[in-house]
Amino acid sequence: MENTATQIINSLYDQCIADFEVRSNTAEPEALTALRQKGFQNFKKAGFPSNKVEDWKYVNLTPFLKESFATATEEELVEVPESVIKNAAIPHLDVWTIVLVNGVFRKDLSDTVNQEGVFVLPILEAASRPAFQKHFGTYTDLAKNHFAAVNTALFRDGLFIEIKNNAIVEKPIHVLHINTANEPLFLQPRSLYVVGVSANGSIIESFVNAGANANVFVNNVAEIFVAENANLHHYYIQAGSEKNRYVHHTEVYQQQNSVYNNYKASFPGTSLLRNNLNIALDGENVESHLYGLYLSGGHQLVDNHTIVDHRKPHCQSNELYKGVMKDESTGVFNGKIFVRKDAQKTNAFQQNNNLMLGRKAVVDSKPQLEIFADDVKCSHGSTVGQFNADALFYLKSRGIGEEKARALLVHAFAFDVTEKIPLAEVQDHINHLIEEGLKA
Amino acid sequence: MSTDLDILKDVSTEEYKYGFTTDIEMEIAPVGLNEDIVRYISQKKNEPEWMLEYRLKALRHFLKLEMPTWQNFELPPIDFQAISYYAAPKKQVKLNSLDEVDPELLATFEKLGIPLSEQKLLSGVAVDAVFDSVSVATTFKEKLKEVGVIFCSFSDAVREHPELVQKYLGSVVPYTDNIFSALNAAVVSDGSFVYIPKGVRCPMELSTYFRINAQNTGQFERTLIIADEGSYVSYLEGCTAPMRDENQLHAAVVELIAMENAEIKYSTVQNWYPGDKDGKGGIYNFVTKRGICKGDNSKISWTQVETGSSITWKYPSVILKGDNSTGEFYSVALTKNKQIADTGTKMYHIGKNTRSRIISKGISAGEGQNSYRGLVQIGNSAENARNFTQCDSLLIGDQCGAHTFPYIESKNNSSMIEHEATTSKIGEDQIFYLNQRGIDTEKAVALIVNGYAKEVLNQLPMEFAVEAQKLLAISLEGSVG
Repeated sequence: MENTATQIINSLYDQCIADFEVRSNTAEPEALTALRQKGFQNFKKAGFPSNKVEDWKYVNLTPFLKESFATATEEELVEVPESVIKNAAIPHLDVWTIVLVNGVFRKDLSDTVNQEGVFVLPILEAASRPAFQKHFGTYTDLAKNHFAAVNTALFRDGLFIEIKNNAIVEKPIHVLHINTANEPLFLQPRSLYVVGVSANGSIIESFVNAGANANVFVNNVAEIFVAENANLHHYYIQAGSEKNRYVHHTEVYQQQNSVYNNYKASFPGTSLLRNNLNIALDGENVESHLYGLYLSGGHQLVDNHTIVDHRKPHCQSNELYKGVMKDESTGVFNGKIFVRKDAQKTNAFQQNNNLMLGRKAVVDSKPQLEIFADDVKCSHGSTVGQFNADALFYLKSRGIGEEKARALLVHAFAFDVTEKIPLAEVQDHINHLIEEGLKA
Repeated sequence: MSTDLDILKDVSTEEYKYGFTTDIEMEIAPVGLNEDIVRYISQKKNEPEWMLEYRLKALRHFLKLEMPTWQNFELPPIDFQAISYYAAPKKQVKLNSLDEVDPELLATFEKLGIPLSEQKLLSGVAVDAVFDSVSVATTFKEKLKEVGVIFCSFSDAVREHPELVQKYLGSVVPYTDNIFSALNAAVVSDGSFVYIPKGVRCPMELSTYFRINAQNTGQFERTLIIADEGSYVSYLEGCTAPMRDENQLHAAVVELIAMENAEIKYSTVQNWYPGDKDGKGGIYNFVTKRGICKGDNSKISWTQVETGSSITWKYPSVILKGDNSTGEFYSVALTKNKQIADTGTKMYHIGKNTRSRIISKGISAGEGQNSYRGLVQIGNSAENARNFTQCDSLLIGDQCGAHTFPYIESKNNSSMIEHEATTSKIGEDQIFYLNQRGIDTEKAVALIVNGYAKEVLNQLPMEFAVEAQKLLAISLEGSVG
């Protein structure tokens, strides 16, 4: 049995290898070709991770990779019903909407960003820009990240955003990821966001349920560079259909005095959702905040991995991830905090709370600290539990129905995360999605 | 400031004060590990056929295994074929009086508050006849016999109580568990065996220490403790006094079995040779310890104070199988110089209403590395399981490291799990407060560390707790702020 499973994955592996041989004929800048080669060599050696790889201990990829995937859609521009884009909009929020369909930047569906110092381009069109050449592929460790390696070797579409020095982005950039296909599809979109010195901006990314007919496996890699004194608010709103599988790798590199805040909310749908969020605090006085909320349902598997790497002194990081597991879903959390020798006076905090609603739900939590400096304040906490019976009784005794009372308590549980979201419209939108997610 | 730095340098490089060698004539098996050696050991020990079979099975399994790579330290290569697996002391060199003992050692005993007669025993001085025959130990033995407690060496148990040993040996830690448990099963040197009959509350703390003629249990120790229904036993392993040992690799296995309503309390104080300041020559302490709460309402409690060994690598665990059973783990691990400790626990919740509590306190000084690695697993049958975990790390000096790897896995939505961990250094204000009250920095550090470890030390039997407290202070001697 296991043998056949391995063989199935092997066939996708072979397909990726074959794809690369074809791709290597495309003319690209030399540096990019070399990087792709590096990614390819790493992937060729490591393949797709099995459960024996510590970082993939709780995820069995075999059932998700066993289909015969196509690696690109045949038609150039996939039709997307207007309603999908409309539904994904955040009510009352004025944004620039950028639409990516199966990883392809669709100018025909997107707004034009007409602000000086702000550039939004398809990733390969940016290949000649200095910001691309300087930062692309610089921060992701290809030897340790199987999926990032194969993405580097094979990506052909994606998004490039550059916010020039001192630019303050007037309104949030809302990126819609729409994935849909009639045949099983294995996608490798790639993005790079460069935020210049003293620049400031908000990027909201929504993963949208587009009602796909076939399974779409998305292996997304995003790299983010935040320069000195810059400030980036970054949102992930992840709601896909059961046909979607996401592996989303985000690599953030911060320079001194910068702030990077990540707000992540995921909802039932996507049958496999794996987020890797790695942040390197490589400068003094850096601040990073990571807020995560995951509501899972059905047989969903949600896996959030984060790495906060304190490399320099006087930095501060704060991480709060809260999970609500319904039905037979599985919630995995793995948070790593590294404090390097130089990183004295670090202040790092990490917390993961889980609310298990489903009788057959599973929670795996692994908060991790690795500390090599002494003058630090680091702590982490993790809890797993269920509704407080007293609280539920209290609400019911005041005439609030069981379902409503439970919803109230979930909202209260999620509040620690949702209250941190600076944009009120996004906050409302997420609260609405929580309500929907609880009903489903 | 400069004095602080000097002191810091002192602690970090302080050498093990207690290492010394004695020339003992030994009967030693040739180096290497193969079936013949195992047969030789078994024959030397006069073992029944089934024990030999067990050893051979374990050996065959061992030969198929490879060294693990997941640990959070660099494991020096170990050549299993370069070790001699059997050494029986022929006779011990006896000193005539305490005057001949290294005064340094005596000073340490003094600090630890070890009684004179015990000091003699520990330092290898010929103990006078009175002490030997009518000693406390002998009285203890008789008392134990009266209530039906079996407390003997593992080898004796194999010969005299084969039905018990056969039934329980390897039932909690099978030889297939890991490479060191396989090695241990193949080449067991000796160890302890305890059986507490139904309803008996063991009248005293059992300690290897009082087991006559058991000073040399060798490097592959095996301990098996069975507490029958409704019984209670408290067992002490090791002692605060420095342990001298020429063997570098120690791979012991401890198995605990608690039946219905039984309780086992297992305490360890480990102070083996940690190696010189470059970490050379210290002992590798790789131990597999696991207990099973087999019956309902049973309880197993592990307490450990680890200050010695160059590498300490162990995870005393509890399988909570019986309903309403309880598992506890209390640990203090101190590392300095280049010492490494990778320790923690595993709690497997299987029965309903099972509870576990984990308190781990790591202290790293010098270039010491301290890791807590733990697993709390709630199975889907474990209704209303409850866990509380706290692991704190204290860092002394900027060259050391503290790491936490907790795994929390829950498959039951009625369970409640809490985990928290902190890492910090000793507060300057705390030191200052004590300084201004006339307590020097070294004593202040010892005081603060003791306060920090109190929650664990309190779990130790009384006399032991006092000694352990002093041991921590001594280990940190010359310490810092």
